[in-house]
Amino acid sequence: MSADPQLKAMPSALTLHHHAKCSTTKARASTLDLPHGSVPLPIFMPVATQASLKGLTYDQLRDTGCMLCLNNTYHLGLKPGQEVLDAVGGAHKLQGWDRNLLTDSGGFQMVSLLKLATVTEEGVRFLSPHDGSPMLLTPEHSISLQNSIGSDIIMQLDDVIATTSPDHARIKEAMERSVRWLDRCIDAHKNPETQNLFCIIQGGLDLELRKQCCAEMVARDTPGIAIGGLSGGEAKEEFCKVVDTCTGLLPEHKPRYVMGVGYPEDIVVAVALGADMFDCVWPTRTARFGNAIVSAGTINLRNSSYANDFSPIEEGCTCKCCRPTDQGGLGLTKAYMHHVTAKETVGAHLLTVHNVHYMLTLMGAARQAIIEDRYPAFIRKFFSDIYEGDKTKYPEWAVGALRGVGMDLLED
Amino acid sequence: MTKTTMDPSQSQSEKMTFSVLTSSAPIMAPRLGKLALTGRKTLSTPHYIPLTSRGTVPHIAHDMLRKETALNSLYIGLEDLGFRQLPAHQYLDSIRSLKPDIAIGLADIVYGREPGVKRRAKMVDRTHAFTQDALERLYGRSVADGQKSTTTAYFAPVLPLDNAQQSLYLDDLQDELKSHVSGLALYESSSLAQIPESLGALPRLLLSQPGGPHDLLRDVSLGGDLLTLPFVGECSDAGIALDFTFPVASDVNAKANGSASQPKALGIDLWSADTAKDVSALSEGCQCYACRKHHRAYFNHLLNAKEMAAWALLQMHNYHVMDVFFAGVRESIQRGTFEEDVLSFNHVYVSELPQRTGEGPRLRGYQLQAGPHKRGPRVYGRLDDVSQKFAESQSSVATPDTDASGLEHHGFAKKV
Repeated sequence: MSADPQLKAMPSALTLHHHAKCSTTKARASTLDLPHGSVPLPIFMPVATQASLKGLTYDQLRDTGCMLCLNNTYHLGLKPGQEVLDAVGGAHKLQGWDRNLLTDSGGFQMVSLLKLATVTEEGVRFLSPHDGSPMLLTPEHSISLQNSIGSDIIMQLDDVIATTSPDHARIKEAMERSVRWLDRCIDAHKNPETQNLFCIIQGGLDLELRKQCCAEMVARDTPGIAIGGLSGGEAKEEFCKVVDTCTGLLPEHKPRYVMGVGYPEDIVVAVALGADMFDCVWPTRTARFGNAIVSAGTINLRNSSYANDFSPIEEGCTCKCCRPTDQGGLGLTKAYMHHVTAKETVGAHLLTVHNVHYMLTLMGAARQAIIEDRYPAFIRKFFSDIYEGDKTKYPEWAVGALRGVGMDLLED
Repeated sequence: MTKTTMDPSQSQSEKMTFSVLTSSAPIMAPRLGKLALTGRKTLSTPHYIPLTSRGTVPHIAHDMLRKETALNSLYIGLEDLGFRQLPAHQYLDSIRSLKPDIAIGLADIVYGREPGVKRRAKMVDRTHAFTQDALERLYGRSVADGQKSTTTAYFAPVLPLDNAQQSLYLDDLQDELKSHVSGLALYESSSLAQIPESLGALPRLLLSQPGGPHDLLRDVSLGGDLLTLPFVGECSDAGIALDFTFPVASDVNAKANGSASQPKALGIDLWSADTAKDVSALSEGCQCYACRKHHRAYFNHLLNAKEMAAWALLQMHNYHVMDVFFAGVRESIQRGTFEEDVLSFNHVYVSELPQRTGEGPRLRGYQLQAGPHKRGPRVYGRLDDVSQKFAESQSSVATPDTDASGLEHHGFAKKV
């Protein structure tokens, strides 16, 4: 571990205003002011991987209320590449999005998408898939690309390994290397006044390593803090322990982002554990397979049982698709969605609108519940809706995690 | 049932009125019209009817279509709602239950080859019988008053054959069947020459395969009122932004009249690497949603990244170009300059749309439909197969398609 890091005062291009804290759980409601507008926290961030949200126009995305979405550095580095990004003037201008962008550093994608990628102290080594030449992607490359992208929140390059890895020495090495790479990212970062660099807490499922990482990274005073290395197929109990442990050690006045999470249940619980920001491709990806997220879980509209169902995707949903025509919506029915879903690209667009809207509305409702100090009741209603009130079906990990923050999910 | 006497310049049913506004000869000449359907916005003709797939304009979601396009009519193929053998009477049942504003009558058409003499006779006989039967069952004496399909206007097919071959049928359309026929559906532009004068007041919907704007201008000059434009969707899928105006913009015209000028292309291939850093609009001064919000570089990126938004935005642009084109056509006819405007258009623009160079969308339902004019043999379960492919396809392409030097050039990584 770097014993005495050369800490330089880190400018910040964000402000976090707290509005309320749940009196039972660790949930927080706040507003995050970023260079391209204010974001209500807790928030779900849809993933526009390649500078486009799966067929939606950015006005459709705005209509869902989205204030902050993701792009991927890995993908934008490949297409259109840094030269085009520089020529066009960054990713906001490339895609015509005037609200906030967050970019992932590309480390996770490198390791998960490129075969034969190996991590060394210098960076991620890989073979160019086209000609087999050995190549190296460094923390400096990642930050330089993210500077060209101009995203409002940029992520450090971290050494990502699966949380399920049995190799403890490797997990420790990855955590320590991520701290060293954070220093290199801070040094390489050219625009700290306009772009907020977030560190990424690593350490696998080892809570001691996570604690050490928190201490090291908090000392580096980045504008925001991410908890990484989760969403890798670990048990939900472990996931909750890591989030709970980290949030307990993080400063109150900084936003906390749990990367790659997740399903509505995961997010609702992680908010209770003190996390603020979430991203996941699942709501938009599953839309393309015909799955609509509703309060009872998900329904697959390709199922023939919906062919003659003339009710909206979700009764009372205020998304453009579900809202009745006399309220300015499209008034689409399940039967209609069944007709187009997974058959027409517009079927994917419409369900993507619904799912993103659903996630953002869920977060808005959670936030309001925290502000009104009734978040535990909100969580109970949320689980009751999914499991039709049958508490025997509630997932044990959620019951346990919530008990850990002072709430009994099974109570009436 | 009473026979209505018709004004020679006007045809009408309870549902629909079509008025020919220009006084010029109704056959084989460009003409202006107004198609008014009860409860719908009046359509000024010549105009186009956008083709749909499963009832949707491909790639344009409903909210964007309503807010950001001027599209106000749709062509829907009944086969999109479930393809199967369809007995003629079931087609009529569908008309009764779906209540389209306009229904195109069944025709016996041979696709993909020239029909022989016997086959042609059969085409006429069948189409004649389909039409007689349909009109009787939808509007005829035997149908109780409350049961008549008065909310649907019936367009009778005119076969892609010469006049003599279908004269019995056409005679009947002019006589016995006339009172229930609200319009004509034609399968090729040469059929426009065959319309008997007494049917001249009927709107003519052309289900031909125009190769581009030059063909459209020809069809309009022959008296086409409503046209279908399969090339628009094909261009959008191919990453081509249409880029032409009618009449030719004066500055473009001036340039074209300069010495040694090249004919102007009808569209821009956004797959071209030339557009990678080009932050100009698809067409200069274009007011469509795509041009107001985005630039060429974004389209080039979206196409390379195989993002669906490319096709959605291009559809909005390309249909907008056609809206402006048809508005220009109508003004030109109104002004009486249509003929010379066409000459000038043909002089300035190349006759062919740009060649497709890049990949289009993944195979989806609507791509299997070759349009209304080419209902070729279809295979059961095909749509299921497509939806399966769609479902299985992965969300994004995450493999670099450049070599190590390219990656280094992109700032992505460095060679070691």
